[in-house]
Amino acid sequence: MASTQDRNRTLDERAAFLSEKAREVRSRLVDMIYKAKSGHPGGALSAADIVTALYFDILRVDPANPRWPDRDRFLLSKGHACPVLYTCLAMRGFFGLEHLDTLRQFESILQGHPIRKTPGIDMTTGSLGHGLSIGLGMALEGKLRGKRYHVYVMLGDGEINEGHVWEAAMAAAKFKADRLIAFVDRNRLQMDGCCDDIMPMGDVAAKFKAFGWKTFEIDGHDMKTILGTIEKARRVRGRPACIVANTVKGKGVSYMEDRFEWHGKCPNADELACAMKEIWGEDS
Amino acid sequence: MRPNALTPASIPTRRAFSERMAEYGAIDGDFVVFEADIGYSTFSHLFGDRFPERYFNMGIAEGNMVSAAAGMAADGRTVVASTYGVFITLRALESVRTFVCYPDLNVKFLSSHGGFTPAIDGVTHQATEDIANMTTLPNMKVLVPADTWAAKKLFDVALQTPGPVFVRLMRDPILDLYEAGDAFRMGGSHVLLEGSDVTIATYGDIVFEAIGAAGILAKEGIRAEVIDLYSVKPFDAETLLRSLDKTGALVVAENHQKRNGLGYELSNFCLKNKVVPFDNLGLEDTFAESGSYGKLLEKYGLSRDHIAAAAKRLLKRG
Repeated sequence: MASTQDRNRTLDERAAFLSEKAREVRSRLVDMIYKAKSGHPGGALSAADIVTALYFDILRVDPANPRWPDRDRFLLSKGHACPVLYTCLAMRGFFGLEHLDTLRQFESILQGHPIRKTPGIDMTTGSLGHGLSIGLGMALEGKLRGKRYHVYVMLGDGEINEGHVWEAAMAAAKFKADRLIAFVDRNRLQMDGCCDDIMPMGDVAAKFKAFGWKTFEIDGHDMKTILGTIEKARRVRGRPACIVANTVKGKGVSYMEDRFEWHGKCPNADELACAMKEIWGEDS
Repeated sequence: MRPNALTPASIPTRRAFSERMAEYGAIDGDFVVFEADIGYSTFSHLFGDRFPERYFNMGIAEGNMVSAAAGMAADGRTVVASTYGVFITLRALESVRTFVCYPDLNVKFLSSHGGFTPAIDGVTHQATEDIANMTTLPNMKVLVPADTWAAKKLFDVALQTPGPVFVRLMRDPILDLYEAGDAFRMGGSHVLLEGSDVTIATYGDIVFEAIGAAGILAKEGIRAEVIDLYSVKPFDAETLLRSLDKTGALVVAENHQKRNGLGYELSNFCLKNKVVPFDNLGLEDTFAESGSYGKLLEKYGLSRDHIAAAAKRLLKRG
C-alpha cells in the first residue's frame, strides 16, 4: 500500500520519477516557509531527496489509515526540517495541500515542530537528540509483536552532538534492532556555523560502526544511490543500520546552498521568485 | 486501616510495588518494563526474572530509557519505566515532558528513593524536587503510597489509569498501616484519624509522623484529623474541604522542598476556596544531607514533634 511507485519499474525510472517529485517538494516547502514568514529551509532542502524517496517509493504507509499498525514508521528527529515532511505528507494525501499555507499559524495542524496529532506523523519530535531513542522504542515494539515494519529516523549532523543520540546508538546495537534505519543528514552546517567549527563529529560512520551498527556512506542527493542503499540497509540482520548521507544544506537554491545563515531564515518575495526559477529551471 | 496499631513493614514500598508488578505481569500479558541498571534496587528484576522478553534493561542512560519508552508507548504499548526519582525527574525530565506527557502516552514511572528516604545515600540520590517537577507537567498524575498494601494497590491504579502516571516510592521499610480491603483510586485519599481541631494533610512516609503528631496533640486535648493524600495529583479536594469545614485549620507536611510541593498547591487551593490558618512543613530552601532517616526528620523539621508544634502554633496554643 503504500508507495506511489510501481515496483516493476527499473531503478532508473524510479529515480527519475523521484527526482521530479523532489522538485515539487522543494518548491512547495520553500513556498510554505515564505508564506509562514518563519521556518527552516536549509535543513529541509538538504533532506528533501531522501524524504521524497521514502514517501514516494520506500515507505509502506496508507494515507487513508495513518495509524495502520503494519506501516513503516518515519521519525524526523531533526524536527525543525518539518516543512519537507509536511509537504510529502500533503502530497501523499494524509491531509489537504491547503494546510501547507498554515505552517506555524494559530490552530494549524502543522505546528512549528512535528507532533503526533498531525495525520501521518508517527511521533512528536524536534527537541534534538530524542528521535533515535523513540525509533528504538518503536523498533522494539515491532520485534515484540513480530511485525515486519521498518523504522526510519532522520538525524541532523548537528543534532548528533547530543549525548542522548549515542545512548540510543548503544542500546539499539544491544537489542539488535535490525529494522531500525537511521540517516544522518550530513550537510556539515549547524545553527551557529560549520559543524567542524562548532563541534567536530569527525568520521560519523566510523562512530556508528564502533557502536555496533552496519553503516553506509552515500551522496544524499543521488536518487539511485539513495534507493539502492536503503534496499541494502533493509536487508541487514542482527544490527541496526546507519546511512550517512553527504548533503548540501539549502540544496537546490543556490543562494542558500552551504550557507548556515539559511538554517532558520525565511526568503523575501524576490528570493522566493529566484528559488522557484532555480528549482524548476530557467524555462519554466 | 489501623492507624492506632501500626506494624513494622517487612519490605519497602519500592519492593511492594515491584512484587505486585511481577504478579500483575501474569494478569496482564501486554505491559513491559524498562529499567536503567538498578533493577536489584528498584526490585524491577522480580518482573524481569518472570518475563525476560518483556523486560528491557537500558543501562545507565535514563534519558534514552524514557524516550524509548515513549516510542514504544506511541505504538500502543503500556511501559513501566523504573529508576530513582532524581534521574527520572531531573536527568530525564525533558523526555518525560516532551515525549511522554505532551503526547499523553501510557508510560508509568516506578520512581524509587523519593524525598530523603534514601537518607544515608546523600543528596545526589534524594529526590526532594520530584513532586514539584511532576505535578507541573500537564497530563501527568502523581501517586505516593505510604506502605506495602498501598504500594501494591497503587500499582494497579497506575496501570489502569490512561496516560502518564508517576509513583513515588521509598528506599526503606517504615511501617504498615493499610489492610487488604482498603481501596485506592486516582484522586482518592484516606482519612486516617478523625478530628475537629486541625487537619494534617500529608503523603508517603510522613503519614507516620502525622499519625504520631496526632497522638502528641491528643494528649493535650487537641483532636487532629490526619488525611493521607496518596493521590497528590489530582488530589481529593472534596475530602479536604469537608475536613476543613470541621477543623478550620490546615498543616501540610511532606518529604520534599516546601517550594512547589503539595503544601504550595493546597495553600493556593485554600486561598481560592476556603481561607484557613495554614502552615506547611518541608525542606526550607535547602538540600538535606547523609545521615539516618530519623535524624534528618528531626533536623529538617518533619518529625512528629515538629508537626505537632506547627499545629499548636496555628491554634495559638503553642
